[in-house]
Amino acid sequence: MEKERFFGVNWQSMDAGMPPEMNSGAAAAAADQLPNSFLNLGWEQPMHHDVHFESALSSLVSSPSSNAPAGNDSVIIGELIGRLGSICNSGEVSPPSRYQSTNTSCYSTPLNSPPRLNLSTMDHQQQGRGGVPVPGNQMAAGKFSPFAADPGFTERAARFSCFGARGYPGLGGQFGLPEAGKLSRVSSSQSLKAVQLGASDNGKEVPVSEPERPETETRSKFGGEAEFGNSQEASSVSDRMTAVGAENNARKRKAASKGKAKGAPLSSSNMNPPKPSDGEKSDAKRCKPAETDGADKDAAVKPKTEENGDVGRKQGEEGNAKPPEPPKDYIHVRARRGQATDSHSLAERVRREKISERMKLLQDLVPGCNKVTGKALMLDEIINYVQSLQRQVEFLSMKLAALNPQLDFNMETLLPKDMHQALGQLPQQVYPLDMASTAFSYAQQLQGTPLQSLVTNSLDVQGSLNPLESSLRRPPTMQLPRLDGFADATSQLGNLWEDDLQYVVQMGLGQSQGTTAFSSQSMPVE
Amino acid sequence: MDSKGSACSNPNPNPTFGPSKLMLAFRFLRALSIVHRTTPASSPTCRGRRIERAAYASMAYSAGTSRAWSRAVLRRLHHRARRRAVAPRRLSTTAGNRAEALRRLVPGGAGMDYCTLLEETADYTKCLSMQVELMQGIVDSASSNGR
Repeated sequence: MEKERFFGVNWQSMDAGMPPEMNSGAAAAAADQLPNSFLNLGWEQPMHHDVHFESALSSLVSSPSSNAPAGNDSVIIGELIGRLGSICNSGEVSPPSRYQSTNTSCYSTPLNSPPRLNLSTMDHQQQGRGGVPVPGNQMAAGKFSPFAADPGFTERAARFSCFGARGYPGLGGQFGLPEAGKLSRVSSSQSLKAVQLGASDNGKEVPVSEPERPETETRSKFGGEAEFGNSQEASSVSDRMTAVGAENNARKRKAASKGKAKGAPLSSSNMNPPKPSDGEKSDAKRCKPAETDGADKDAAVKPKTEENGDVGRKQGEEGNAKPPEPPKDYIHVRARRGQATDSHSLAERVRREKISERMKLLQDLVPGCNKVTGKALMLDEIINYVQSLQRQVEFLSMKLAALNPQLDFNMETLLPKDMHQALGQLPQQVYPLDMASTAFSYAQQLQGTPLQSLVTNSLDVQGSLNPLESSLRRPPTMQLPRLDGFADATSQLGNLWEDDLQYVVQMGLGQSQGTTAFSSQSMPVE
Repeated sequence: MDSKGSACSNPNPNPTFGPSKLMLAFRFLRALSIVHRTTPASSPTCRGRRIERAAYASMAYSAGTSRAWSRAVLRRLHHRARRRAVAPRRLSTTAGNRAEALRRLVPGGAGMDYCTLLEETADYTKCLSMQVELMQGIVDSASSNGR
């Protein structure tokens, strides 16, 4: 704790470009709050305010479209940062009420009245939600936008965020409490990103690389005072973050882990991350569209873990000091929607697509099914159709059985011999026909040949069909002299078989477009 | 080709094609002739049942064993040949779920999941309409010439 406070004071004194009276005022404010630090143990609550201030500060820094502020604005902001730094260092141990009041005063004195209202409401919201970050940061970004384009301010804010990233893991490491993880989760942008990455699977390696940049920077700024093993702390942060999920309610954790994929690109696209140097800033600007694109691509159908892993990796590549924008409402909505990306939902979706495809097929098969809409009505129609077909089969079989004995005589005399004869020679002919037709249709499906080649191929098929057709037609015509009076019947049976042949060819083609061509070509054949 | 035939000749998306109507006609006519030869004309209902069973059998044989419904029909036929049970007509009261009704209609539909049931229904409907068309043609030809 002493070290932390020492950091804060040191940082304030080291802050370049800050007027001395402001600096001293901030130091005095920090010194005012220092005695309270020993009295307080409920330091979990101020951390949420810290989060809020962090986000507010980052939104201060972030919004790129703003008019350039005046010089005194930068001075005011410098004072603001100084106070924030003092709050961050001392407010960890200060009572919540006092902390809030100082916070609001500290924020509202340099700024106008609307930000103050905004801040107070945000504070209330945060208290009501129990330290949950609020999407009102966007509004705060809008309010604070006039102060954004100051490069010195951004640099100072970046330093501040770096310091915050340094400070709170140190605090957590000192106390080693489960709340410390929570604190470090909400404390700064780095640790928040560590949370985001801790939610993903490979989050353990990325936060290690993340706070190393703040470490180097704080070393350069504070003259080697940052002695903590940052990588260890970062890993401990991620470890604690996985433990914090148990402390929070499970739903919140789930929502956070699921909503990060959406929330993180949103925040990165909305807010310009404050970079410690200009080159890194340009880097961030360059990699920003790529990140948003990738996140958009990822957000479509990919499973959750992949998504998180991708985004987390991208965040790790982007670097440090990204301002946290944890929109909790987004997360909630996203959680509900994100449940469609787990494997069960994906399988269910595949099944539904399959069912709809079968339904479409049945819709083509069942006549009168095109008119009805809705699956239930379609199922009714299908059921009715199948029932009617079965009844029709029953009825027709009864009718066939009840037919007069001429047909029986016809069938007995005509068909068995010829059918046996035809069946004796049919399998050699029909099966190659089937094979040829199916192969032909496969080729047609595979190659996607146009209609002309289809027609020429069908001529070949027709030519191969001709002997079969003649062989099929031969038995009835041979029976004609023997069976007087049934000539028409046999010819009709022949016509029926021709229809069958035509149908076989059509089925071999498998296309409705071949119907006209075949009917026009098979007519001259017979 | 009439409309029903063109409805039957819709392309099957499955790689295995439906039964050829020619084979179905041959099988059914052969079975019909066998039935007419073996069964005396004195009992038209028994003959009708046999014809109906022959119709389903020819459908199932021409559909092959790749389909669940044809396998179910054939299994039931064999069992029925031993047990001498009634025709493969199913009493389907549309009670409860529609899928259950469809399950009862399609042979072998019990214990099928919904997606497979729809697929089998499509194939079974196609074969059944083909069979009905064939039988209708036979009946028409016979009735128009027999008298």
